[in-house]
Amino acid sequence: MSEKKQGKHIAIYGKGGIGKSTTTSNISAALADAGYRVIQIGCDPKSDSTTILRGGNDLPTVLDTLREQSKVKIEDVSAVGFGGVLCIEAGGPVPGVGCAGRGINAAVELLQELHLFEEYKPDFVLYDVLGDVVCGGFAVPIRDGIADRAFVVTSSDFMAIFAANNLFKAINKYAPSGGARLGGVIANSVQAPYAKALIDDFTGETGTSVVGYVPRSFTVSQSELYGQTVIEAHPKSEQADVYRNLAKYLDTNEDSVIPKPLNGPELKKWARTWGDRIFEVETGVVQKMESI
Amino acid sequence: MAHHIDSSRNSCALHGALQVIEAIEGFVPVVHSTAGCGAQHYLGVNRLNAGSDRFGGSAISSSNISEKHVVFGGSSRLREQLKNTVKIVEGDLYVIVTGCATEMVGDDIPAMNKEGRDQDFPVIYANTPGFRGDVHQGYQLAIKALIEQLPDLGKAEQPPVKGLVNILGIVPRQDPFWEGNLEEIGRLLEGIGLTPNLLFGYGQGVSGWQRVPDALLNIVVSVWGDAPALLLEERYGTPHLSLEGLPVGAAAGRFLYEISELLQLDSRRTEHFVQSEERRFDAQLAALADTWYRAGFQREFTLVGESAQVAGISEFLSGTLGLIPRTLIITDNPPEYAREALLSRLTSLLNGFPTEVSFTEDFAEISDLVRSASASLVLGSALEEAVAAELEVPFVQLSFPLSDRLVLARGYAGYRGASTLLEDLGSALLSDRHHNPVHQQSSAALGCS
Repeated sequence: MSEKKQGKHIAIYGKGGIGKSTTTSNISAALADAGYRVIQIGCDPKSDSTTILRGGNDLPTVLDTLREQSKVKIEDVSAVGFGGVLCIEAGGPVPGVGCAGRGINAAVELLQELHLFEEYKPDFVLYDVLGDVVCGGFAVPIRDGIADRAFVVTSSDFMAIFAANNLFKAINKYAPSGGARLGGVIANSVQAPYAKALIDDFTGETGTSVVGYVPRSFTVSQSELYGQTVIEAHPKSEQADVYRNLAKYLDTNEDSVIPKPLNGPELKKWARTWGDRIFEVETGVVQKMESI
Repeated sequence: MAHHIDSSRNSCALHGALQVIEAIEGFVPVVHSTAGCGAQHYLGVNRLNAGSDRFGGSAISSSNISEKHVVFGGSSRLREQLKNTVKIVEGDLYVIVTGCATEMVGDDIPAMNKEGRDQDFPVIYANTPGFRGDVHQGYQLAIKALIEQLPDLGKAEQPPVKGLVNILGIVPRQDPFWEGNLEEIGRLLEGIGLTPNLLFGYGQGVSGWQRVPDALLNIVVSVWGDAPALLLEERYGTPHLSLEGLPVGAAAGRFLYEISELLQLDSRRTEHFVQSEERRFDAQLAALADTWYRAGFQREFTLVGESAQVAGISEFLSGTLGLIPRTLIITDNPPEYAREALLSRLTSLLNGFPTEVSFTEDFAEISDLVRSASASLVLGSALEEAVAAELEVPFVQLSFPLSDRLVLARGYAGYRGASTLLEDLGSALLSDRHHNPVHQQSSAALGCS
């Protein structure tokens, strides 16, 4: 499978609601804008990964189509979005029923069987994978032969860091047997004064690094309301440049690591020290060499 | 430490549950799993023990789920399958049994069961994925479902039965002689004035199961009847008596006296019945005496089987017949508490002859144990045939799986079962062409070379 692989395959993970789909779509748009052939595959039963690339139009998911017809063609389950990005949504069962993890497995397998990558010949394939790596199914994109690198989107919220740490555990497990390695951390919604330092400290602790800081931005919210990426709606904005820089990083940099996730007690201890530090900042305690 | 099991003789929980349902008249299983589960049950269990059930085996109702049911949930497939089954097969009770795939996905079986009930289908369900355990767990899970859910379906008016006792712990088909064993235990109980509730086999249907709570006592033949008996004790206060093994020969008499005392039955009637049974059996033993010496019955033996079989049969062979138990191999993985009891009971069956008792279901390990014991008689399953041939010793197939005979009514329980066991053992010894002096003498007398 890997010898036939076309383009760079990148999986993007992160806690639900953290801005994975927005970040991924903007990176896809920036790569397409720079002239690359891009496929973005939403691996989430919510199936809204590619919405802002497609102007908010509906797209039948791979699994829904598979359920209704025995033979599925790429045209049935894909739409061409901004800049020619080929948009695909894996889809999944309704909440509380069936097995979404197996769904992702089945959808990714089908796309491979349909020779999507050989025929479309993409330069980049971006997998936008849902929230936490709760079971084997959600780890499919980082297992052997699918994505080469995974990136994780996180904010400075503890639960987002927790989800990132879980992804590190999954990568740690699969990378030695040929699975994806970690490309880096994308710090999103950076707003609080301590956010940057907190994420930096976490990456330092886990042997990883931040590849880009995406500030919290009104431009993003407004573009989303129009059903567009920032690249499309506000191509000249500073925020668009932030995404372009991320896209450029993905394009030019091949660095990857096997992260060293913190175990449960370590992560709690780490979080508690940050709780104390933030409290001191808020209450005006000044410490020597304090960076935040 | 985890290790692989070579050719296990214990199939999975789903199969154990199917074996329960298929052994009851008017019960119709509905398998909610992948297609292979039902097929494997037929190929790996039913076909090996000769014969099919009225509804089961290769003709079994199954939802045969595929990938889309795993991804989107298979509940609607089950709903459809249940409706179709009710249309096609007339049954007194439909039992949904689940396999691994549908349990992993988390299909809402109780909801589908309730839908069936709302349409007045007599339906219950048991969650029996193979990952919950082997055939013995499946037996327990299915019986638990019957005990817990059957009362919800209401009860037909039945005249009260005097002296009712339930018999638990004989796993249909996993004990190849289950039906014969149950019938003989039933005959013995009738002999002392009780009404046996066999629950499985010919003539056993939903009415017997509805009577389960009315029993005076639950008789537990193997450790696998413990959990159902405890559940019945909890729900209905029914006491139970554990036999800890098949009662073969004289053990049957002891068991009848014990029950008689426990339930304060007519002791004279019990004594009279047991004595008449023993006289009949003693006469058979006397008739056997000459052959016993000439064919060399008294020899060391290795026995491979489930705990109830091994305990009952080895005690009979050593206690009554004077055979020497060399190695006993117990294959049904009994729980720890039962192992200790079995060990203390079976390691010194005969004074001065230590018996080695092992617990394993691994074919290679069992073969090695049989080989190294090098006894002059092997009793076990079809899987031991090769090692017995290698040792060139007489061999009797008596535990699952059987391959060399059809079993319809045969059993080894009770006095009649003891006679059957003697016949089978004697036939194996007499037909041993390599070593049997009787065979050589009669061949010479007939002028054969």
